[in-house]
This record gives sequence, structure tokens and C-alpha cells, in this order.
Amino acid sequence: MSKTILIVDDSATMILSVKSNLEMNGFKVETAGDGVQALSKLKSGIKPDLIITDINMPNMGGLELIQAVRALPGFRFTPILTLTTESQSAKRDEGKKLGATGWLVKPVDGADLIKVIKQVLPGA
Amino acid sequence: MSLEFKKNQVHFKDMVGVEDAEELLEWLQKTPAAKVDFSACTHLHPANLQVLMAASPSIMVWPADAAFSAWLQSALDQHEDPY
Amino acid sequence: MTPLLEQFLSEARDFLEGIGEKLMQLEDAPGDAELMTALFRMVHTLKGNSGLFDFPEMTRVLHAGEDLMDAVRHEQVEYSQDLADRLLDAMDFVGMLCDEVEAKGSIGAHHAADSARLAESLRRLIASVDAAAAVVAVVASALPNALTETGIVVAEADLPPLVDIPESIRMDAYRQACGGVDLHWLDYTPAADCFFQGDDPFFQARGTPGFLWGSITVRQPWPALAELDAYRCVLEFHLLTTAPREQLDEYYRYVPDQVRMIPVTPLFLALPQGNRNGGPVAYENFVDKALGLLGANQLEDLVLAASNLIELSSLELWLSSALRWLLLVMELEPENRNAFAKIIESLRRQSPPKWTELLPKVTGGNPPAKTELHLSQHSLTPEEAEVMTKMLDVQREILNLPIQENWQLGRIKAVAATLTGCLMASGDVAARAGLEAATAMALEEAASLPLLAWLDQFQQTRSTASVESLVNQADVGVPVPRNLSEIQSDLSADAVRVSDVDAEAKFGRRAEDAGIGPKSLKVDQQKIDRLMNLIGEMVVSKNALPYLAGRAEDVFGVRDLSREIKAQYTVINRIAEEMQDAIMQVRMMPVSFVFQRFPRLVRDTSRKLGKEVNLVLVGEDTEADKNVIEALGDPLVHIVRNSLDHGFEQPDERRAVGKPVAGTLTIRASQESDRVVIEIQDDGKGIDPDIVKRKAYQKGIIDEATLERISDQDAINLIFAAGLSTVDVISDLSGRGVGMDVVRTAVEKVNGAISLESEIGKGTRIRLSLPLSMAVTHVMLIESAGQTFGIPMDSVLETVRVPCASISSIKQSLVTVLRGNIVPLKSINALLAIAAPPQANSDHELAVLVVRCGNEAVGLLVDDFRETVDIILKPMTGVLADIPVYAGSALMGDGSVLMVLNIKELLP
Repeated sequence: MSKTILIVDDSATMILSVKSNLEMNGFKVETAGDGVQALSKLKSGIKPDLIITDINMPNMGGLELIQAVRALPGFRFTPILTLTTESQSAKRDEGKKLGATGWLVKPVDGADLIKVIKQVLPGA
Repeated sequence: MSLEFKKNQVHFKDMVGVEDAEELLEWLQKTPAAKVDFSACTHLHPANLQVLMAASPSIMVWPADAAFSAWLQSALDQHEDPY
Repeated sequence: MTPLLEQFLSEARDFLEGIGEKLMQLEDAPGDAELMTALFRMVHTLKGNSGLFDFPEMTRVLHAGEDLMDAVRHEQVEYSQDLADRLLDAMDFVGMLCDEVEAKGSIGAHHAADSARLAESLRRLIASVDAAAAVVAVVASALPNALTETGIVVAEADLPPLVDIPESIRMDAYRQACGGVDLHWLDYTPAADCFFQGDDPFFQARGTPGFLWGSITVRQPWPALAELDAYRCVLEFHLLTTAPREQLDEYYRYVPDQVRMIPVTPLFLALPQGNRNGGPVAYENFVDKALGLLGANQLEDLVLAASNLIELSSLELWLSSALRWLLLVMELEPENRNAFAKIIESLRRQSPPKWTELLPKVTGGNPPAKTELHLSQHSLTPEEAEVMTKMLDVQREILNLPIQENWQLGRIKAVAATLTGCLMASGDVAARAGLEAATAMALEEAASLPLLAWLDQFQQTRSTASVESLVNQADVGVPVPRNLSEIQSDLSADAVRVSDVDAEAKFGRRAEDAGIGPKSLKVDQQKIDRLMNLIGEMVVSKNALPYLAGRAEDVFGVRDLSREIKAQYTVINRIAEEMQDAIMQVRMMPVSFVFQRFPRLVRDTSRKLGKEVNLVLVGEDTEADKNVIEALGDPLVHIVRNSLDHGFEQPDERRAVGKPVAGTLTIRASQESDRVVIEIQDDGKGIDPDIVKRKAYQKGIIDEATLERISDQDAINLIFAAGLSTVDVISDLSGRGVGMDVVRTAVEKVNGAISLESEIGKGTRIRLSLPLSMAVTHVMLIESAGQTFGIPMDSVLETVRVPCASISSIKQSLVTVLRGNIVPLKSINALLAIAAPPQANSDHELAVLVVRCGNEAVGLLVDDFRETVDIILKPMTGVLADIPVYAGSALMGDGSVLMVLNIKELLP
């Protein structure tokens, strides 16, 4: 059974690059442009096995999204990875404190991405 | 469904996720002589493992994968008597 | 960087400095218990602070330091020069980490090894005294088969329970290790709440690179099933892996604080296991025979004898296991006689070989003199050499600067002095003559050229020399012992190795090279306050200039002078305002300083209460004066606690009424003109005005008539009344009430206001409004009955002139209608008991100052409005302090005293 991954990023380019990479590796991909969109997707019944979210986004940023996701029934334990830049190590840690599982560093290398996903997502 | 309950037996199938732990715990609470079958299990989230460790049911069949089985036995095998 | 982190860093530097100071003082007075206690306290506090952040490398060293100082304090360990040295080294390391945190925001993983080594170096001092503990501290890297380059030191107590691993796997690991792979024992202790971060630690452990063997244990005894929390992780994972350290660090990078990695010395795996009873009688003779063969170097016979004995014995015997290990070690480490002997001897007692005894002992006392490491006293360490290169480059830059006549000689002298210093430091006496000659020539010609030429030549010779010295250093500094016997015989090589390790623990941060200081400056608050007061006085006294201009024109009739004074005033005014702003900025802090404690508070409290609450923080970078921010802390905590305790419903209650199971608590900060506004909003059950009313009536806070008439909003506001804060009220009150009067008082103390809105079932919103700064007050001047008064601008809504005709009287009160709203009017003269009627102007209009009083607008009848001014409000003192209608007084630019009214107290 293929796993579903939700990518949240306000950059269409970033979404596209991650998305194509994931789809090539047999994942189903859902996307959202910010935290608010992501939340409404989750509330509408889409149940990703993993969420990858950017930190800085309009409307609702990644950190806020993590908190909101953790509060949703059914998403208490969903692995969440933040997409951070090299310099955002503080945000990474903050994300982790708020309930993220780990982080990816932009630009995301394709092989790294799959490696990390296989590490945090049993059965991937 | 990754957990199958049959009378006092529970069968773990494929990957047993974190959300299943609650149900497992409830079931173990009301099933005193519970027995566990891991034969078709490839992984279980540690929340389930903790529940099993606390309830110490008897294990009927260990998983087929030797390494996985060794992990589980280190946690669940009560009869280990090293010499 | 968060303000908390900034604070930590600034404080950490103070502590580090203090620790250094105290250590110096202790050298003169080693028995001073008070100094010792102070020292312990500083290390202890610093350690505690570092624990607030995720700086395991820092905390580890400080923790060891704390334990050591504790032992010294309790006279278990004696103070020594060596102890001070090691502690100072450790503090240098911590200081360096602080610098790195300041520069990069985090600590690089590569410091882990240094951290472990320093911590061990401190702990060794504790251990060396405690002989009974028999701690065998070892430098693992000095072992023949040591696989770690990090030089991590393992104490026996810390040795992992390798015997838990089945023999076949241990043998496999041993084979691989002898073949050159690293072995690590890993203890992975996931955080209790890790499942809520999406972790599956079991999956993580199973996927560990180089995995050989693993087991799972539990941290604490299991509770009854009924009390078990399936989602609180209490498991521990232990595993043996062959992956290199970097790969493990990488794999566990999300949870480095939950993983302990211990390099395993391969021989330590050779632990016989099995049934100690039974076996052929022959083995009793075997030990002597085998030792004899070993002594005679008849190794082939020894192998044969061992193999024969194995054949006679059943597999599961302890004896067989030991023999199997003997054969394996002989096969893979054929030179390691001592190891063979250990295994053979272990057969006599059937107790595992004590491998740690084979390791070179490191005494807890003084390490060999560090100068051994240096080839000669002239050679610089690589760090020093680098610093010197930089210094020389800077001198070159200075010499290359364009010539400025009156500075040239000074420059040359300064450069010459610096270069001489460099030569002294590097011991390069020979070069000094050349430098002196070049300097003399440069001074004579007032030109840089001679010095530049000398510098070129010097740097050239220097670079060749430094390469040589590095090569030599490498030769001596890193002995490569072949086996144990060599190590034991060659004590001096050993000593160099140890001193090398100690020397590596230096971090080049000595007092003299702390040239680049931190960018932030810690200033005593009193100094800032003084600046603030002074600029306040200046703002006020500059106001004297317009008066002066007026007098120049009116009294002395010098119009031009008046104009010039006015022009000057504009300039001074602008500068003063900018200066005031700048000083205020110094005192400004973001509200995040207060906010950052809430995620944790909300998480912990809600979990304790079994509620799910989602905290949303908005506008964390809104800034306000330090005093205001600090005054905000306690009331906010109070409000948030209240909300969590009583505002939010239990999850099932919420589900039942169709709300999301998790409540949302929003804390929002924003700036509204010159005030900072904080809103705390929950989507809990709200406050029932009826219950508040009834309770207030029962407590005698309101009378029966009020009980009938009071609006719901007013009823809710009764929450702030003093009497409504007893315990029995809380439980009935669907929430608020706990000490809300205390909150109100605290907020009002800093000139703030608090209001509360609540809707049953929907939630509650509390709004705090505070001045951005408390130092300067903006007031409007009004005149009445020939006197001037100040009214704080934050209570002024508007100024209007109302025709006398538009004022009507209802009962005994005057009212007027402003934009469709009825506004009650009060004469300020009447309120101040001045027996004069309000004066209308020539157009028969009355001046009405509309002010905010609570949530209502009230018009004050005054004689006239004047300008607004910034003043420094001085509270009333002495007998006047008892007159609450005055907020205070201020000195005006013309030297007069202005009385500032307190609107809240003025209006009944």
C-alpha cells in the first residue's frame, strides 16, 4: 500500500520538486500552499502518513501548523518533518519541541529525502 | 486491520500502528489469559510493545523475521533463563 | 536568537568570569569554605541554565564540574592547582561554546568528543580519590585495538552490559572489529512524549546502520494495566553496531540527546558465558599447562591443547566458551599474549577476564608537564601561529595606509611595538636586531617602506619554519603503539600520549586573546534609568525655549532673536526626541520574553489536567519597555493558568457540545499607538454572569437593587472586584475569579487597563492594555479657574467646543449629545471643589474635554484647552500622596509646577 505524504509550502517550485521526487518513488502526494490550506485538507478527511512543511508561510506558518495538527484527532502521532534552511537551526528545534519528528534542510537532495522518509515512516 | 482479536488471542498482522495501542490495551485489560500470535507481523509501534510488556501475555508464535523476533524476545520473553 | 538565549549567554559570561576569579582567589586561600561554596553555586547555576537549552555538550562538562566542586565542598576531594587548571580548561571550553552559540545559534556536533573528554578529566579527579570505586579510567585510544579516534574515556562503571549479547554475535562483532570496523554500544532512551512527535523509536532502533544486536528494556516497573499510559514511552533500546560514529550521529541527529554511544574495545567482548558446573576434570591442570606453553612461546601447542579440551567438554559450559574465546583471540590478535594469559587465568576462577586491568592506568594526579609537547619554548601552537599570522597581516595593512603627516610617526612606532611583541612571543630573538634597524630607518624617513620590507622578509622565513615545526610535532605527538606490551614497556610514549590528550583540551581562549568581545553590552539598569531621567529632564527643559522666544519678542521686543531661538529650539527638539527614542529603545524588549514560557506552561498544565489545548502566539516581536514587559509576566501567567484550569472544558465535554476536542488559547500582542495590547482568548466555556452576580451578592459586593439592574457585562466585570476571589467561588464560577483582582491591581500599577469579555459556551477574552513606556507621560494641558492642569493623553478621547445652548440638564446632571451619543458633563471646577462656574468663550461655547472613564465617555467642562506636552510624572509625596485625584506633578519648562489629574479617581 503506497503511503500518502502531504507537502505544505508556499513555493510552488519547492512543492513541485519534492512532489515529483516522491511520486517517482511511489508515494501518493497531497499539497497545500500554507498552514490554513493544510489544516482544511486534513479536516476534509485526507489522512497523510507523513507531513512535510515549510516554516515561513503566509496565513499560517509551519510551527503554528505543527501545533494545530497535533491537536487534531487522528494526527497526534503522524510524523512531521519541517523544511528548513541551513540557518534555521533554532526553528528546527522549536519545531521539534512543538511536535515535529525531524527536519529536512533545503535544498532537499532527492536521495536524502527518501532516506529520511524511510527512517521516520515505517513501511515506506 | 492490523490487529485481529479472536477470543483470548490477538493476531498481529503486518505493521501495527501507534493508534492500535489503545484498543490493544483495552482488550488486554479485559482478557486475563491473553495469547499473542506474531507470525504475520513485520513491525509494531513501541506503544503496542509497552502495552504487551506491561500485560505480559503468553506469546504463541514469534515473528518470522529473526532479527525482529530477537528484539521482541528481549522485551517479552519471560522464560529466559540464561543457564 | 531568543531573548532567553541572549540572557543566558550574557549571564553565562558573567558566571565564567566569576568562576575564573574565584578560582584565582582560592589559590591564595585554598581552605576558604565560603569561596568554595560560591564557586560551587556559580557552576551549579550555570549548569542549570545550560539545561534550559539543548546544549548537551555544554551541560555535560558543567555537570562534571558541578559534581567535582560538590566533592571539593564536602572535602571529599582536595583543592589543587591541577584541579583549578582542569576546571579553567573546562570553563574555557564552555566559553567557546557560548561564542559558537552566539555566532551560529547552535553547537556543532563535533564538540561532543571534547566535551566528553573534559567531563571525564574532571570526573577523574573525583574518582582518583575514591579508591573503593576502583574506577579504571582509560584512554581508550591507547589500546592496541582501540577503534575510536575521539579518545573518549570509559570508566568501568560505564561499561555496557556486553554479556547480554549472545556469544555468537559477540564473536562475529569481535571478528569484524579486528577486521577494522568500529564497534559502538548504543543506549537509546526516547523521550517520554516522543510518540507525540511522530517518533517510532523501535523502528528507529531497528533501522540503526551496522546493526548487530539489540534489546529492549523498560525504565521503571510497570503499573497496573488500568493505570498504564500506552503513549508515554518508558522503553530503552540497547544495541551493538558496526557503523562508524559519524553515520550513527547522522542517523540519530533528530534525537542526539536521547542517545548515548559508547565505543566498544573489541577485547571487552571476550566474556565467557555458560554453565560453570561440570566439565572434564582435565581443565584444572589445563590452566597451568597452558600458561607454561604460553611462557615457552609454544603457541601451536597451546591451540592444540585448547582444541582438545573443547572436544572433551560440552558446548554450553562456561569452560568451553572461554576456550572458544581463547582460540578466537589467538587467531585474530596473535601478538596479544597478555590477552591470552587473561583468558587462561579466568578459567581458574571461572570469572570473566578483567580486561580493564590490561589498560594503562591514568593516575589522577598531575599529568606530565605540558611543555613536553612543544618542541622548544620558541615554537608556537598552531592556533597561536594563526593568530600571529593575522596580526602580521594587520600590521601590513596599517603600513600600507595612505600617509597622514601628523599620524605617520605614531603609526610606525605602534607597528614596531606590535612586531617586537610578536617576536618576543615566538622567541625569535635573532630577528629583533633586523626589526630594530628597520624601525629606526622608518622613523628617520617617516615612511613605512623599511618596515614593510622587513615584514616581507620575516614572513617568508616564518612560513618555511612553521611547516617544519608542524612535521616535527606530528612525529612526536602521535605515537602509534603496536601492542600492549609495547605500551607497558614504553611508559614515556604513554606519557606523551596523555599529555597530548590533555593539551588537546585547550581551546586557545586565554585571557590575553579575548580581543573580540561579545557584541552585546550588559549595563546596570540604574545607569539606563539615570540616562532616562536625564533625557526626561532635557525634554522638559527644552520646553523653556519657546517661553524664552515669546519673552524675547513680547517683553524685549527683539523679533529676530525670537525667531532664531525658535529655529534653534526646533533643532534641539528633534535631537532630544531622537535621543529619547534611542534611550527608550535600549529599554525595549519583545513580549516574546514573557511569551516564551507559555508553550511549556500550557503543554504541561493541560496535560496534567487531561485537557487538550492548542496555544497560538501572535505578535511575539511586539516591543515594550522592560519594566512593562516584566510587569506583564505574572498577570499573564495567572490569566493563562486560570484559563487552563477553569476556562477549558475536558475533551469529552467539548466533544459533547460539538467543539473541537482540542481547545485553542490565543495570546496576541500588538501595538496600538503608544500602548501595547495583549489579548488572551480561549474558546472554553465562558463565564456565566448569573453565577457571578449571585456570588457577588452573597459576598455583599453588590446590593439587591444592583443585582436586579446590573448588565451581564458589568456582572462579568465584577470578577475583578476584590472580594470575589475566595476558593469556594472558583469551582462554581465556571472559571475565572481566582485572584483576578490581583491581576487587575498589578496591571493598573503600571498604568495599564484590563477588560474582559465572555460568552457562555463560546469562550473568554481578556484584554490588557499597557503603556509602551513608563518614563515619559504625554499630557494635555487645560485651564480652569485660572489654573493649569495636566490630563494624561491616554484617557483623552477628544476635545470639542459645545454651544451653551446644546447643553441640557437631566435631573441634576448636565448632558450633551455628541454624534448621536449622550455624554454626561461634569465641571472640573466642581470636581475639584473650586467655586467657579465654567467660562464660555466669546462664541458662547464651552470647552469640553471628552475623557474615557472605564468604558464610558465623560465630558469635562474646562475653561480652555492648551497644548500637549511630554512630562516626567513624579508621584505625589508626603501629605499630598493621600490625595488620589492627582496622579502626580511635573516640572514645566518655565519652572512652574504642573498638577496632573488622575481621571479614574476624579470621576465618581
